Amino acid sequence: MRSDIISGIVCAMRSGTTGPFARSAALAAAATGLAIAVSACGGPAAGAGAGAGAGAPGRITAVGAESQYANVISQIGGRYVNATAIMSNPNTDPHTFEASPSVASTVAAAKLVVQNGLGYDSFMNKIESASPSRSRRVIDVQTLLGLPADTKNPHLWYDPTTMPRVAAAIVRDLSALAPAHAAYFRANGRRFDTTLRPWLQAIASFKRLHAGTPVAVTEPVADYMLQAAGAELLTPWVLQADIMNGVDPAPQDVSLEDALLRRRRVKVFLYNRQVTSTVTESFLKLAEQDHIPVVGVYETMPAGYSYGSWMLAETRALTAAVTEHRSTGGL
Amino acid sequence: MQALLHAIVEPGFFADGAVQTAAALGGVVAVVAGLIGVFTVIRSQAFAGHALSDIGSAGGSSAYLIGLAPLWGFVGISVLAAAAMERIGVQRARGRDVATGVVLGVGFALASLFLYLGMTYHNASGEIPTILFGSVFTLSASDLPLVMGLGAVALLVVLTLYRPLLLASVSPELAAARGVRVRLVGGAYLLALAITVALCDLTIGAILSTALLVGPAAAALRLTGRPHRAALLAAGISLACTWLGLLLAWDSFYWPPLRHGWPVSFFIVTLVLIAYLAAGALARGQTKRG
Repeated sequence: MRSDIISGIVCAMRSGTTGPFARSAALAAAATGLAIAVSACGGPAAGAGAGAGAGAPGRITAVGAESQYANVISQIGGRYVNATAIMSNPNTDPHTFEASPSVASTVAAAKLVVQNGLGYDSFMNKIESASPSRSRRVIDVQTLLGLPADTKNPHLWYDPTTMPRVAAAIVRDLSALAPAHAAYFRANGRRFDTTLRPWLQAIASFKRLHAGTPVAVTEPVADYMLQAAGAELLTPWVLQADIMNGVDPAPQDVSLEDALLRRRRVKVFLYNRQVTSTVTESFLKLAEQDHIPVVGVYETMPAGYSYGSWMLAETRALTAAVTEHRSTGGL
Repeated sequence: MQALLHAIVEPGFFADGAVQTAAALGGVVAVVAGLIGVFTVIRSQAFAGHALSDIGSAGGSSAYLIGLAPLWGFVGISVLAAAAMERIGVQRARGRDVATGVVLGVGFALASLFLYLGMTYHNASGEIPTILFGSVFTLSASDLPLVMGLGAVALLVVLTLYRPLLLASVSPELAAARGVRVRLVGGAYLLALAITVALCDLTIGAILSTALLVGPAAAALRLTGRPHRAALLAAGISLACTWLGLLLAWDSFYWPPLRHGWPVSFFIVTLVLIAYLAAGALARGQTKRG
């Protein structure tokens, strides 16, 4: 017990981002001997809303493995839920994320967990089985969508059909956890769906006006969105997968991508802001040399956005690249 | 004839820009590594060479962190590490491996720190396999002048000091008696070695680069006892392994069942091993006949 109290204090002092509230919560908990305050510390990787007010009475503790899922949970849970994001640092490659002890205690305390699946956040399964709980509900988006395990592209949240179904599952689970607030959660679920409308309209209008626009990418991050918008993806899948998996790409594939950019066979070049290397930077340089508009895309939701406004911003950046020839390096 | 050529060389190999750049850069590095490596083997400094190349991973990752080309990191850290080894006492035969091992340990510690920082705060995770295992096909032609310049510096050091270096390598006592400043010569060689290792880091990666430095030289020294002949032979073997490795990596893109392209560094290092074993067999055959 004593070590838990000390780590609660230490982590509250260390995490400057979680603000004075977490600090005082941890100190108060230390005074009363409540080890639960450890969960107030999200660690350096946990950003927006990490643990702020964790342990406040009557609130459901929830975790989104990626910041976009945490954002949807808090939009639906509103004042009855504390949602913490595990991966939210836009400078970190989520594929190489390693969970810290503070992440484990955050997940252990959660009553609702939303995770992506498809191996993208498999560390979540380990943490959950390390602290089994019968009352915890886990929404695995891969399972929710009924996707087979060999689905190649794990960036499911870029698919416009994904998040409405995730939101419905969150409404269902939160209502089961707190039946008294079920109507509130349902209303928030409907409101969430309406916040996605501008994005869906932007995708529909891109498809109407610019279907078949040839594009090149570094990684399959935004592929689902590009497919929904009717863009023609010319980068070979193997190259995208190699860059995503950090594998040395074959020279044939690199040459093909070079040729796409050099001969201006694509109208837009999208690259993953969160994972760069000499290979992706050489593509970026080529695109800039040949005046091909560049759009930076993110794997996890950047700060200052909600899920809907982030997706809308990405789609608008894509549209601006095609219509105004404008680059959007970062959001 | 045409069909045979196509069976060995899959189409597009010679015309491809990435292949041409890799062949030019890899060729320069292979020749320098072969020539310099002979002295590494004669001086029994293979472990020092290996340590310098592994430490290169710290240089490559730190350079990427601050936005420099990895080559600068490889060169900078290797030269620094070589200086540290010299200070601790890499020249003495006794306790030399200990000095090397100590510096190697520090180098790996730094590499783990920089790689952690790169992955956590600087979206560099895609760069790590390139630093560790190389990616010669993704090098840019604009690196060529720098690589040639660095290679020339290393070769110039060794050529200028050729005779005293050779003497000091074979018999330090005799060299000292003849007025050779053994430690200075050894230090200068260590500098050339550090530069060479950094170049190998760039082409086949920090973990594998000793193979190119030591393997061809060791193979050549199995075939001839004369240092200058061995140096030229090592350069030839090293160049052949590199270019053949490029060709096999290109061809492997079409091999079943993967049809995916195998890593080029694997082929180069495997060919170096084959050359070493073949040289051993050849040497045994020669001694039997003679």
